[in-house]
Amino acid sequence: MTNELQLISAAKAGSADAFADLVLSYRDRLLRFLLTRCASYADAEDALQDTLINAYRYLHSYDPRWRFSTWLYRIAIRNAQKIRSQNVVELGDLSDEESDPLQQCIAASETENLWICARRLLNDDVFAAMWLRYAEDMSVNDISKALDRSASWTKVNLLRGRRALEAELNSSANESKAYG
Amino acid sequence: MDKLAKQLRADAERIEINVSDELDQRIAASLRGVSPRTEPGLETPALIRPRPASFWWASSLTGIAAAAVVIAIVNSQSQQAEPAGGAATTSPVTIAATVPVIDWKTESAMLTSPLRQELENLQSDMKKAEQKVKEDIGL
Repeated sequence: MTNELQLISAAKAGSADAFADLVLSYRDRLLRFLLTRCASYADAEDALQDTLINAYRYLHSYDPRWRFSTWLYRIAIRNAQKIRSQNVVELGDLSDEESDPLQQCIAASETENLWICARRLLNDDVFAAMWLRYAEDMSVNDISKALDRSASWTKVNLLRGRRALEAELNSSANESKAYG
Repeated sequence: MDKLAKQLRADAERIEINVSDELDQRIAASLRGVSPRTEPGLETPALIRPRPASFWWASSLTGIAAAAVVIAIVNSQSQQAEPAGGAATTSPVTIAATVPVIDWKTESAMLTSPLRQELENLQSDMKKAEQKVKEDIGL
C-alpha cells in the first residue's frame, strides 16, 4: 500500500512510468471486467485505454480514503457506459454466444462457467455487483462506491443475485438427476 | 467462503484474458501524450496571493474618477435634452388607421324559438343549401 501511495504521488507529479507501474497489476483484471460490460472485445479494449488515460489525467482528484482499485473500477464503469451509449447496444441483446465477448472468451477456455449463467439471469448492475464481490473480492462499501449505489442496494442485490444463481443451480441439478 | 462464492471465484479466474502487446503499446503511447492535471488549489496561486496596498489605492481612485466622468456626461446630456417648455409631448397614434377593415358579409340571426329549435332549423337549412349546391354542380 505504501508503495502504491508512492507511485500515486510520483504519477501525480507527472511520471507516466510510475503510473504504468501503478496500474500494471490492475490492467488484466480491468479488461476482464470490462468484457462483462461492453458489447465487443474491441470496445472493452477501448474502454480500458480510456479508463487508464482518464485515471492518469484526473489523478489529482483521487481520494486516498478510497482503495485505488475501487476508484479505477468506477472510472471503468463510466467509460464502459459511455461506449455502450455511443454504440446503442444493450448487453441484453447479446444473448447469442457469437456476439457476446465474455462468452467468446469463456468458450475458448471452458465449456461451462457460472458467469454465463449469471449473465443470462441478472441485469447489468446486479451482474457487476456480483462480479466485483466474487471475482474481485471487493467489500460491499467498495462495490457501492464503484457502482455509485447505496450500500443497502448493493447488499439486497447481491443477495438477489445469489438466490437467482442458487435457484438455477438447484434446478439444473434436479434436471440432471431426473435424466439419471 | 461458501460453495457458490468459491465456484464464482474459480470460474472468474478461469477466464484468461491478458492485455495484448498491441493494446499495451497503444496505452503507453496514449499515456505519453497526456499529462496529469494539477490540483485546482495549486493551479491558481497567483489569484490568492495578497495584493500590495498601492494596488487598492490605484483601483479606488480609478473607480472614483470613472464614476465622476459618468455623472458629468449624464448631467450634460440631460441639460441638452430638456426643452424650454418643460414636459415632453407625445404625438397620438391612431390605431384605427393601422388596422385593416374587413368587409364581412353577415346577417344577423333572428332568434324566435328556443336555442335548441333554432339550432335544428339552422342545421336543416344547411343541409338544404348543401343539396341545392350539389344539384347545381351536377353531383
